[in-house]
Amino acid sequence: MHLSWLELTEVRCYETLRFEPDPGVNVLVGSNGAGKTSILESVAYLGLLRSFRGTPDEAIVRSGEENAVIRGEFEIESGTVRVEVEIPRSGRRRVLVNGKRPTRNRDVMAQVPIVAFQPDDLDLVKRGPGLRRAYLDDLAAQLWPQAGAVQQDYDRAVRQRNTLLKQAGRGADGVTLDVWDERVATAGAAVYRHRMDVLEALDAAIGEAYRLVGERGALTWSYTTNWGGDPQGENVERLQGALLERRPRDMDQRVTSAGPHRDDPSLVVDGRPARTMASQGEQRTVALAMRVAAYRVLAARRSMQPILLLDDVFSELDATHTRGVMSLLDDGQVLVTSAREDEVPAIGRRWIADGRNIR
Amino acid sequence: MFEPPVQRLVDELARLPGIGRKSAQRLAFHLLNAEETDAVRLADAITSMRREVRLCTRCFNVTAEEECSICRDLRRDTSIVCVVERAQDIPVIEKTGEFSGRYHVLGGAISPIEGIGPDQLRARELLDRIDAENITEVIVAANPTLEGDATAMFLARMLKPLGVKVTRLASGLPVGGDLDYADEITLGRALSGRKEL
Ligand SMILES: [Zn+2]
Repeated sequence: MHLSWLELTEVRCYETLRFEPDPGVNVLVGSNGAGKTSILESVAYLGLLRSFRGTPDEAIVRSGEENAVIRGEFEIESGTVRVEVEIPRSGRRRVLVNGKRPTRNRDVMAQVPIVAFQPDDLDLVKRGPGLRRAYLDDLAAQLWPQAGAVQQDYDRAVRQRNTLLKQAGRGADGVTLDVWDERVATAGAAVYRHRMDVLEALDAAIGEAYRLVGERGALTWSYTTNWGGDPQGENVERLQGALLERRPRDMDQRVTSAGPHRDDPSLVVDGRPARTMASQGEQRTVALAMRVAAYRVLAARRSMQPILLLDDVFSELDATHTRGVMSLLDDGQVLVTSAREDEVPAIGRRWIADGRNIR
Repeated sequence: MFEPPVQRLVDELARLPGIGRKSAQRLAFHLLNAEETDAVRLADAITSMRREVRLCTRCFNVTAEEECSICRDLRRDTSIVCVVERAQDIPVIEKTGEFSGRYHVLGGAISPIEGIGPDQLRARELLDRIDAENITEVIVAANPTLEGDATAMFLARMLKPLGVKVTRLASGLPVGGDLDYADEITLGRALSGRKEL
């Protein structure tokens, strides 16, 4: 799979931009603020439907403008997929796949698998569990279209239940709460199931990726829930039971306190939690291994190679780690950004970004 | 801003679903430049629809009479009721030819985010119909969405204690959309393969 063209309108620093990358390796060079990252961010947005910088959508809209539009066409085995996203400064964004609205936006993720490495990936290891849950959910949605659908249902069911609790607190109608408990439990158990399937797929890949980036320790996952989730069991009733048990407390605090949205996936190096590891360098290697593992799982399980985006990663890496990342580059499409040309391995097509255009 | 009479029309048009600021302006100027009779005919169609159409006192379908033509049709099976979110879903189900009972228009689906709970829907009115009309089965044809599923579950909780069989359209409908996303054949199959809740 590869991106044939990308068109930006009022995105970040670009008034308009058309970019037609090579199907192989593309190296985007330019000083800070030259808009290289905005191009990678836009490509990633088409596959992940959010900014990989973790910024809110309105930050993508060029200052002084009302709407940003990101369009791109991907060449896949069975033809082409055109993804278009219109992002208003305020209000709902619009996603079109081949000119039609997808039933659920997250359906897009399985159609155009993209893996992005970027400096903020360190947060995957360092910060709270939210980013790691998103990492597992994204990978599940990229592997299995129905995973994206249940994630979207689960998010909405939890929001519906929370809104009911916020509006009514202790006065919430019991039958209506029962109904939302049931929806939360059904979707939640499915989200959990997909996360367990992803962990199984990652099990061998994550350790292997850690060695590939030059480390010797054993990198593994640990996963805990606050509602008794059981990887081997049936979880709808378990989650429904936990919700019922916590209902008085949830009614007081006006928020849903149990479920996969509170689960805690974490990484363990030789039996020690990676979060508490001493050096930032060690943590960065774990984050790197997480992305490498995601790439390898996607490449192995899907009939197509994901698109690989490397945003300014080489400046942070030593030679061993760089070799690990480079070993991924066989025949897939890669977009690399760097402020310094000499820092990037000398392969692929060179592009110069100057803040207005790229050539 | 345009001259007040034009601006007023633009503002009103922009309040319609699916019409943005730009489309509202285009429509307003289209009407301004069209033959006067065209504009008057449109205005008249809107006012007479509002004047002549009301809600069926039994099922809340739109009608020009006291009761809608379906409720008045003596050949229909009165023991079975199909619950839909909106009146415009009724012709969609009628087209399948698979349903011969009456309808009940709920007026939406349970969605706290949109401020819709059971009290904002015509659930109470449905409950009142059960005894009055000897209804034995309720088919919930709410949209195949999260909120539609929650609504079906709610109705099942409300009606099953009364001994009413509550069923939901079989899966196979395009999930997440409106009922009218489905073609007649798929919808007909979903009706005949309905499952008890
Ligand atoms: Zn009627």
